[in-house]
Amino acid sequence: MKYISYLFFSVVLFASCKEKKQKAAELPSDSIFNLTSNWKNQNNDSLQLKKLQGKTLVVVMIYTSCKSACPILVSKMKNIESKISRNDINNVSLVLVSIDPKTDTPQRLKEFAKDNKMDAPQWMFLTSNEGATQEFANVLSMKYKKISPIEFSHSNIISVFNANGELVSQEEGAIDVDKVAKTVHETVQNS
Amino acid sequence: MKVLNCFKIVFIVLLFSCNKKNDELQVNSTDVTKANSNTIHPISADVKMVYIPGGEYKPFYGSDAVLTKVEPFLIDERAVTNSEFLAFVKANPKWKKSNIKKIYADSTYLRDWQSDTELPKNAKPDAPVCFVSWFAAKAFAQSVGKRLPTLDEWEFVAMADEVSANARTKSDYSDNIINLYLQKNRQYNQVKQSKPNYWGVYNVFDLIWEWTDDFNSVLTTNDSRTGQYEDKSLFCAGSATSSTDILNYAAFMRFALRTSLKANYTIANLGFRCAKDTIIIKNK
Amino acid sequence: MSNKLIISGLIMALVFGACKNNSDSSHQSGIDMVAEGKPEVAEVTAAPKVPAPVGNRGPKKWIVNLETSEMEGIIADSISYTFWAFNKTVPGSFIRVRVGDEVTLNLKNDANSVLPHNIDLHAVTGPGGGAVASSAAPGKETSFTFKAINPGLYVYHCAAPPVPMHIGNGMYGLILVEPAGGLPKVDREYYIMQGDFYTKASKIKKGLFEFDNDKAVAENPDYVLFNGKKGSLLGANMLEAKVGETVRLFVGNGGPNLTSSFHVIGEIFDNVYLEGGSTVTHNVQTTMIPAGGATIVEFKCEVPGEYVLVDHSLSRAFNKGAIGKLKVTGDANPKVFKAGGAVTKE
Repeated sequence: MKYISYLFFSVVLFASCKEKKQKAAELPSDSIFNLTSNWKNQNNDSLQLKKLQGKTLVVVMIYTSCKSACPILVSKMKNIESKISRNDINNVSLVLVSIDPKTDTPQRLKEFAKDNKMDAPQWMFLTSNEGATQEFANVLSMKYKKISPIEFSHSNIISVFNANGELVSQEEGAIDVDKVAKTVHETVQNS
Repeated sequence: MKVLNCFKIVFIVLLFSCNKKNDELQVNSTDVTKANSNTIHPISADVKMVYIPGGEYKPFYGSDAVLTKVEPFLIDERAVTNSEFLAFVKANPKWKKSNIKKIYADSTYLRDWQSDTELPKNAKPDAPVCFVSWFAAKAFAQSVGKRLPTLDEWEFVAMADEVSANARTKSDYSDNIINLYLQKNRQYNQVKQSKPNYWGVYNVFDLIWEWTDDFNSVLTTNDSRTGQYEDKSLFCAGSATSSTDILNYAAFMRFALRTSLKANYTIANLGFRCAKDTIIIKNK
Repeated sequence: MSNKLIISGLIMALVFGACKNNSDSSHQSGIDMVAEGKPEVAEVTAAPKVPAPVGNRGPKKWIVNLETSEMEGIIADSISYTFWAFNKTVPGSFIRVRVGDEVTLNLKNDANSVLPHNIDLHAVTGPGGGAVASSAAPGKETSFTFKAINPGLYVYHCAAPPVPMHIGNGMYGLILVEPAGGLPKVDREYYIMQGDFYTKASKIKKGLFEFDNDKAVAENPDYVLFNGKKGSLLGANMLEAKVGETVRLFVGNGGPNLTSSFHVIGEIFDNVYLEGGSTVTHNVQTTMIPAGGATIVEFKCEVPGEYVLVDHSLSRAFNKGAIGKLKVTGDANPKVFKAGGAVTKE
């Protein structure tokens, strides 16, 4: 009887082992983790986007010196965060990507996070160079334009990605935070 | 009992090997990363570049009072051709049709190519390459040590007709361009078969739509009736989005096309040409 | 006695209750109606045909597929013109739904298109009538879903820049949102759409005509047409009806610029749904259809003959093509009309 159970578990292990292999080898072709640009977070750690793999991502692009729509986007992100259940939150990263890498240094992002009470571990701020920023904005289908050294026009989009970096949904314009929070919950459950 | 032990060993070995396999996978995935890295292998490009002195110009979207400064730059006299793009994908397998990642190009990337390294049937090697995404165009430009022209640079060149640098005020300027735009399948023609413009730049209007580096910097929607009263919830801050020349229907068409694009789109009549910074200021 | 009173009281209460119920359901807002079932692909038709009436079915979910393309076609006699169109016809396909229906509109832009296109349906409550959400680059497909909450006959059109050019080249059509229970039954229904066309000879292709921007800005069209082609409702293409039948015309005006004075020579409209909405007026000779507007007219055919449909701004009818015909066949009806008779001799 005992050896049958060992046999059984061996088979199960073998099977699960195989499954894992398939999952790890194949990053979806449309995953943002395919991007190889280099970023820095608010703690001045260097990283590539695939470091974020494994968590459901809520992503927005902003710049910290913005006086018009970005504060609204930031408060929407906080609002979304507050609506994510504490059971889910360890599996979620809320990512704010700067569209103004010249001004938004890791130090500045750190201060911004502190000032806005966004310093819990689920918050991630990223900054890079202009090329990587432009590439990432285009991956998000963001429109943006630098209209002065300190001012940008840009579209207001909040995107949700699953743990494999595939786009799940985008909300543009008047963003419905309840809808985004619901999507996040479903995405966490599905991954 | 012996049998049980035997199974125990198998179990443990399996457990271990499973872990080991995962380790190997880690190695594999870094290999994959290497293959996917942004390294672009250079290819040589044999295309004449034209010097554009730049200057101030009135952007199509903006306010009448504000001129935009365009620095001097170099631009390819013609679009990138099928044969040039073929050389690029041969040197950069990541950009071959069968290797392309969906995040960089949609499903119609190089749609009519017969294989990774065979041009479309009947395609002229000297016709402009189409069905290429913005990401692919950027990578190509990098491979030849250039970049894509900015929207302002492209529009600056597009102000010219055959005899003047700025033909925008001529009554038939827009009409002549629309005539060219409305021709179907013009992308199959060879480059440089028509007359160049004032600067010596060919095929600005009569072959293809062209990617620009910041094509996504036009903050209007393709709902042409909202004008400067653009939806404030869609866009943060405000550069003016009203048109400075409401009779320039050709420009409306061109900007509508840009507005409809996403960077991974590949389209039948959309290609590109390259540009480059310059430090030479030619004497007038 | 008292029994009778109670019974009649009960009946009255019932009738009253039923009445109240009825009026409630007819005034229920389209927003609150629940669209049932899985989405089905809706039947759409090219002019002058219309899809089957909704009848008394409940609200449902529909998929409407439209494709935009730019193509050469005959505008008049043997003159070719570059039309831009929904589903390759001018006007575009007729869409027919009822209030409370949920419609997913898929817009595919032909891969051979030069330009992006989109759709603004006047029946949509939402930004741009769907124009932003549906903007499609050549070869791409977009989609949005809306709930039809107001009954009426509505124009749809492309709103991509430059919008007068897209409309001027024929990018418009009609969508009918029937009220709960459907429109009253009639014997014949037809789809007609007027548009003004501004043309000039192409400098590149001989014999081909294209949109003339200057004429459009001056609002001076070469053609004012029903259903995108001179003679589209004449000769073998005449609309048909029989004596004694009721006819309903869904008439839209794409514009881009002119207002139509729609008239059927020799008929009086028994019913006109003013501007395509819910107010029905009676006994109308000529009804106005603004650019980007529509109307529903109904009349009973009493006398056989050919009835001429015109924009009663008559130079358009007789010089620019805004003319069509309805052929009514059947027995003469001298009670209503007879030629000859009492000629007074001096």
